Amino acid sequence: MRLALAIASFVVLIVHGVVFYDQFFHKWEKHQTAYFEQARSLTKNEAERAALEARSPKIEQYIVTSFGDTHVDRCGTCHIAVDDPRFAGYSEPLKSHPYSAALGDVQRNGRWERRHRFADFGCTVCHGGQGRGLETEYSHGQDEYWPEPMLGYVVQANWRKDFAPRLKGKEYMEANCAQCHTSENFAGTPNVNRGRKLFYAMNCYGCHKIDGMSEGTLGPDLTEAGKKYKVDYLWESIVEPRANLATSFMPKFNLGENDVRALVIFLKSRRGVNFAETEMDRYKAHVANVAVVIPPGTAGEKAGEQLIQDRACTACHKLRDSDGGIAPDLSYEGLIRDPQWLMDHFKNPRSRIPDSIMPTFRFPDDDFQRITAFLASLKTPPPAMTPAGTYKALCERCHGEKGDGNGKVAWYLDPAPRDFTRAAFMNSKPKERFVASIGNGVPGTSMPPWKNALKPDQVDAVLAYALQTFTKEPAKSLKPRDLPETNPVASSPDSIRHGEQIFLDRCTGCHGRKEDGKGPNSLDITPRPRNLRNTAFVESVNDKRLFESILYGVQGTAMPPWIDYGLSKNDVGDIVNFIRSINRKSGSGQYARN
Amino acid sequence: MSIQIEEKGQTRTTALQGIWTSVFRNPWPSTDLERSSTSFTNFFLHIHPVKVHKHTLKPAYTLGLGLISFFLFLILVVTGILLMFYYVPSTTQAYDRMLDLRGTVAFGIFLRNMHRWSAHGMVAMVFLHMCRVFLTGSYKKPREFNWVLGVMLLLVTLFLSFTGYLLPWDQLAFWAITVGTSIAAYAPLIGKEIQFVLLGDSTVGQEALLRFYVLHVAVLPAVLGLLVAIHFWRIRKDGGLSRPEEPTPRPPTPDPRPPSRIYGLQGFVRGAFNGGAPEDSVFSWPNLLLAELFVFVLTVSVILVVSLLFHAPLEEPVNVMHPPNPAKAPWYFLGLQEMVSYSAFWGGVGVPGLMVMLLIGVPYFDRNPKGVGRWFAKERLLANTVFLSLVVLNIIFIIVGTFFRGPNWTFVSPF
Repeated sequence: MRLALAIASFVVLIVHGVVFYDQFFHKWEKHQTAYFEQARSLTKNEAERAALEARSPKIEQYIVTSFGDTHVDRCGTCHIAVDDPRFAGYSEPLKSHPYSAALGDVQRNGRWERRHRFADFGCTVCHGGQGRGLETEYSHGQDEYWPEPMLGYVVQANWRKDFAPRLKGKEYMEANCAQCHTSENFAGTPNVNRGRKLFYAMNCYGCHKIDGMSEGTLGPDLTEAGKKYKVDYLWESIVEPRANLATSFMPKFNLGENDVRALVIFLKSRRGVNFAETEMDRYKAHVANVAVVIPPGTAGEKAGEQLIQDRACTACHKLRDSDGGIAPDLSYEGLIRDPQWLMDHFKNPRSRIPDSIMPTFRFPDDDFQRITAFLASLKTPPPAMTPAGTYKALCERCHGEKGDGNGKVAWYLDPAPRDFTRAAFMNSKPKERFVASIGNGVPGTSMPPWKNALKPDQVDAVLAYALQTFTKEPAKSLKPRDLPETNPVASSPDSIRHGEQIFLDRCTGCHGRKEDGKGPNSLDITPRPRNLRNTAFVESVNDKRLFESILYGVQGTAMPPWIDYGLSKNDVGDIVNFIRSINRKSGSGQYARN
Repeated sequence: MSIQIEEKGQTRTTALQGIWTSVFRNPWPSTDLERSSTSFTNFFLHIHPVKVHKHTLKPAYTLGLGLISFFLFLILVVTGILLMFYYVPSTTQAYDRMLDLRGTVAFGIFLRNMHRWSAHGMVAMVFLHMCRVFLTGSYKKPREFNWVLGVMLLLVTLFLSFTGYLLPWDQLAFWAITVGTSIAAYAPLIGKEIQFVLLGDSTVGQEALLRFYVLHVAVLPAVLGLLVAIHFWRIRKDGGLSRPEEPTPRPPTPDPRPPSRIYGLQGFVRGAFNGGAPEDSVFSWPNLLLAELFVFVLTVSVILVVSLLFHAPLEEPVNVMHPPNPAKAPWYFLGLQEMVSYSAFWGGVGVPGLMVMLLIGVPYFDRNPKGVGRWFAKERLLANTVFLSLVVLNIIFIIVGTFFRGPNWTFVSPF
């Protein structure tokens, strides 16, 4: 017992020793001792030597209060030679901070004088890192959870390996320079300036808000992006928007590495109110930015064309040879959309296509009218081509080279373009329906009416081409189904309530509680379940088709034949009444049933 | 002259002695009388009886589990108070303070490690202590209510650990508490209300952090301290630790005093151990104190070594948008979470509620007076088997929940 007690006590003693040794034996003392030794050998007079003799290792710190929160920077505890020009050629940590005219340092009488003196600026204001830390790992911010690792210098352990090397480099520090040097053309921050230009040129401002710069609402607010996110996350969010949020609809923009870097640095510089700005400055900048009008000299179509260029529409859309690869082709816009449609769509894209991801731009009305006038003038039909050529020119961008509904812009379209390779679907619908969809378009979706661009025989030919090339299976004769032409159940509050009850019980898994087609199962389903609040679409569909889809299912999709699951015609009639009731434009709308 | 010097020396000694005796009423004990008196008159020692039964000191009987739990609580109080100097219960600052503890505060990371590992250790030790008490049948008359107090102490310990879990405000904390409090919400009728009162909001946020902090540093430690005091006091009043029945019932010592005249206060103590035969008992000083000191030093040394070798976990700061998959409750609630995955109500509320009621009721259901004071007594085969199987079942659930559950709570192999 006594022996065991002695052993346990000894363990306690040893651990205490280790912990205290760890806490009180500092690596930085070694650096400081080395510095004093070196400095003594470099001194030329006795006074300096005596001054050095008098110094003993201690924590050196700058306390900086002029830049936001108080910074306590103890970096000089290891980097003790940082302001000693004689140590320029030494290796870290005993190296003096470089002097450079680019930083505003000036040489007087052969001696450099710093523009940014350590006593005024400290270290972390420019470099980032954890000023109070006294161990390399923590003070440099290598600790993976430290929010501000040394910019452009430290790569944290959990950063993505594939682009971590690109996150190093002095240029990342520009994000900190820009906290004071806010001028748009400041020579010291070329990447921030370039990023700011890209923010406009790539239409980032359409979706994202940055206080004082833009007011988009579709994407996250980036006003404080630099404070909230590390460069690793910013880079990833730009090059792989869906890496962090599977449901993100942010386009993958066509950007070179230097552009991405500039954007990351620019975003890293967004910290809300910065050191150099006041709320008033921000407000002024905001007013100035919102009021930007690009008045082209001439009016009308020409001005519209100019505006499309200036407003960077082709960062997403295709117009003739410039293709952003994200949004539909505008080359034949005058043939497929009328001016009213265009104006409505500009004012609010979701008034025409409810699930469109196009930002609502807040340009002046005149600008919209000019752009509309230009687009409406694009009435040159495509030249006569083979059906394959027509498909390639008009259909392929959405429906894909292989006809699988997976064209280059398809991911950004909701509802998704039809997949022609699903024979089960293609062969369960009459040919007339496809002809109508091509000729008249599908309201509420990105499928435009082509009847003004293609002659009926061209429509037939391209349809035949698609069926033959992609669907392959020959059409079977359709079984006649017992379907009413119009809903036999009269719409009444009771019927609607019953329909809603069935909907809640059976349909929400895919179509969602909000009837928007975004139920919990919808992510795993292609084609996506219909958004039943897409009024334009629902109105374009007659009762017969609704009955058919619900009772007999939609072949080639996840919609099952509900007649097999016990729904009667009356039930379906109630559901149809419910769906109609949530899509009434005015008067007894969705709230009438309460 | 010489006499004077001697006298001076003597007065000096007497003055020192005076100070000593004013603080400690006794000299360093060298006789049995002084040993008794020391235990009896010192505030910190008078919680001990003057003499204890030899059986009480057998390490293999108690395993020191109750004492270990108490000493862990003391370590937790001390380290906890030190940590309170740095901690701010605010969603914007809490996590930064964790990073500070880790990177810049002297001894900060070590304190946090000690606090964390002691907390886990205390939950485990209190649970094992309960198992010891059950398996030795020590909850029987006259100790029924002390068992009930013990069950309450276990619950308070769990709740203390649970409230502390949220404070670092990292992903682990946030989602463990989100899961834990949603288990509470499955309780019938008042489940949602309990959750709301705990969180002060419909989700875990600033209000929840503040509430958990106050519970963790003020309310629950006070409750625990009070319950511990009663728990200890009742050990004395119930006649010391349980021990085997005497082989032959001792004839009651004839009381020489006429009962109508003088009452011994000892008479109020049920089943009192009044010294018994001299060969059965030893003096608390130094035997019991040495044993306690050993347990204390052992506990401290283990916690120190563990804290030196392993860092308390700290994950990413809270990100409400990105729940880890799976989000897991603290390990001691993973058995519950595992059961919840089969049935929300029965796993989260029904079974655990029933378990607690059963535990509390054990001394009142089990009327068999036999088998006290021995591990796995034959007379208690049924009770021990039932108890052990429930314990093992719970441990299996915890192990499955900890190691065998992957994304979406599907079964994965850790190997």
